[in-house]
Amino acid sequence: MHPMHNHDHPCPSARLALAAFTALALLGCGRPAPPVAGSSAPPSPPGVSYEAHLAAGGIVPPGLTLRNPHAGDAGVAKSGAMLFKAMNCDGCHGGDATGWVGPNLGDARWRYGGADAEVFSSIYYGRPKGMPAFGGALGADGVWTLVTYLRSLPLPPDLPTESWEGQ
Amino acid sequence: MSRTALIVGMLWLAAADRGGAPAAAAAAADTADGQWTMPSKDYAATRYSALADITPQNAHALHPVWTFSTGVLGGHEGQPLVVGGTMYVVTPWPNVLYAFDLTREGYPLRWKYRPDVSANALGAACCDSVNRGAVYAEGRIVYNLLDGHTVAVDASTGRELWKVSIADMGSGETVTMAPIVVRDRVIVGASGGEFGIYGWLKGLDLNSGQVVWTAHNMGPDADMLIRPGTFKAPYDSGTDLGVHSWANDSWRSGGAPVWGSISYDPELDLIYYGTGNAAPYNSEQRLGDNKWSASVLARRPGDGALVWAYQFTPHDNWDYDATGAMILADLTIAGRLVKALVHFDKNGFAYTLDRATGRVLLAAAFAPVTWARSVDPGSGRPVLEAAKATGASRGNVKGICPSAEGGVSPSSPAAYSPRTHLFYSSTNNLCMDYETWRASHLKGTPFMGVNTPYSAGPGGHLGGFLAWDAGSGRKVWENQERYPNWSGALATAGDVVFYGTLDGWFKSVDARSGKVLSKFKVGSGVVGNPITYRAPDGRQYVAVYAGIGGDWALLAGDARSDDPTDVRAPADYMKDIARHTSQGGIIWIFGL
Repeated sequence: MHPMHNHDHPCPSARLALAAFTALALLGCGRPAPPVAGSSAPPSPPGVSYEAHLAAGGIVPPGLTLRNPHAGDAGVAKSGAMLFKAMNCDGCHGGDATGWVGPNLGDARWRYGGADAEVFSSIYYGRPKGMPAFGGALGADGVWTLVTYLRSLPLPPDLPTESWEGQ
Repeated sequence: MSRTALIVGMLWLAAADRGGAPAAAAAAADTADGQWTMPSKDYAATRYSALADITPQNAHALHPVWTFSTGVLGGHEGQPLVVGGTMYVVTPWPNVLYAFDLTREGYPLRWKYRPDVSANALGAACCDSVNRGAVYAEGRIVYNLLDGHTVAVDASTGRELWKVSIADMGSGETVTMAPIVVRDRVIVGASGGEFGIYGWLKGLDLNSGQVVWTAHNMGPDADMLIRPGTFKAPYDSGTDLGVHSWANDSWRSGGAPVWGSISYDPELDLIYYGTGNAAPYNSEQRLGDNKWSASVLARRPGDGALVWAYQFTPHDNWDYDATGAMILADLTIAGRLVKALVHFDKNGFAYTLDRATGRVLLAAAFAPVTWARSVDPGSGRPVLEAAKATGASRGNVKGICPSAEGGVSPSSPAAYSPRTHLFYSSTNNLCMDYETWRASHLKGTPFMGVNTPYSAGPGGHLGGFLAWDAGSGRKVWENQERYPNWSGALATAGDVVFYGTLDGWFKSVDARSGKVLSKFKVGSGVVGNPITYRAPDGRQYVAVYAGIGGDWALLAGDARSDDPTDVRAPADYMKDIARHTSQGGIIWIFGL
């Protein structure tokens, strides 16, 4: 197995950033649940404003604050590009994430939201129609590494029109 | 059978079908040629019908008489069945089964069956959500669900008789092939060559669905159902070839899936099927011949015992699945009548084998081939072109023909006419570069490690449709097509042959010359297989699915329209396919 796959335990080491910790707590990883910001109540669905919930459109309403600890880090993005191949992401999403069985991830359009936290959730927990949950295999830091890579892809101009006029 | 007798028979069948006399209908199914009860028409997989109302003289008058949207957008491979007065249609995922009443105006539904199929299967299927069709047997419609189940449905009522789990989606197994039934055995296999499955074929009991035997396509002799005294490979000897031909136990995740059709010779009591590519695409992770990937296997249907096996592409370096149709025909070769098996392989060679022994009688290129020079008649092995070998240490190997889509797609089965003694097949005129790297096997994820950009082969057109003389290994005629051609072929006793194109033309052509007799622009690219039947009104009709898909390479660019969050650049080799077609599943019926 590729050396980059050694994060196969669902409860990764303590070197993880605190932000990732919050997500891991949901898996019941044997540590005391970190405090939810501004509250000491036991874990419960976070408060969501009525308007945000109405517009969610199937997307989990923003409750937990997930912050990418590597946001904008070009070195991490490069590691993420390797991880994208090593974890067989390219087998479904195509080379350079341009789309195959799974959708193009570099077209600036997102089925489940394109914010870092939303992309994290898609990879960590999986999505319907066959996107596996890689949180267990990769740990939060591995998933953030992938998020950082995907967010570094050069975005094409979003031209909704494809024309063959004159051909 | 005279035409009058046939019509009477058909009317009786229609009545029997409605009244629920399935056993009688099954008995008649073998002889009433107005029907289409098996995926490939008959056990020999000829896709030939003795109906002859449509001829080169009148085919110009063919026109659509009925259409129906399946409501599903995945690639519509496979074909309908016609049994008595009913047409049965299986859609791609979510694998709806429709039963149309051909005895009534407008062909209203008698019933439809909607199984509960997991959406997760969409992520475990390499190549779209396709289904290659159902089979009729003893009053049942039997077919496979993408998420790894086989179901039997009462052909009269639509009631589910049994539903069994046959495949493990968690290991990357999905099921796309059409089963066949031999006596009380339902024969099924799983896709997953891109997921490193441990490929297999299973025999189920027709009455209960229970798995009676499981035969792996590689691994120890015991797993392969190789029994002492029953197995004799034409070019190999020794035990556990399915282990020793895979370095470092790589057979355990070696692929060799089963996703094509199965044929059967009742006299020899042998079923024939092809296996898919070896996994992963980096062949350096599985040194050796990798038996029996990219091979044809002959087994006893009753207990699954392996009788012979022949490998078309030893140590597959190029994704050359051998899952295309194995067509059984008795041919005269060099003045001798031979029980032959004819197969158009992805690797670009058309093979004529002795179907009793597996020995190669003839192999000749039917499409541009650069990976090998020929097939050696003494050893049955390809004579390799060393510069076209691939592997992680070999970098980007350029100019390999055919491409990983094959000289023909295994999803595009050929037909054989005993009148012209010719085989008819779609072709792809594509070449590729092949760059591979070390792939890691994570259960349930793709096990590939490859990039294979395509380009047009010699001439610049991307596909075609040909007539082939398998007795001499010679192309008789070929129609060039602008795009890769992905439909199956249909041959008829009227000497009219039918096929569709990727840009959505459905064509009838003269069986002897290839001359186009009629063409009609159906609603989407054709990747399905045309069939013909005599309807309760006594007339001959031709049915085919429109519905581009089946390989994501075909949907590059805006050929896909159903997902606003998935926009792709056109494929380099086929920039304008989206100008001519988009997704959509439609059943078309044509008549005179």
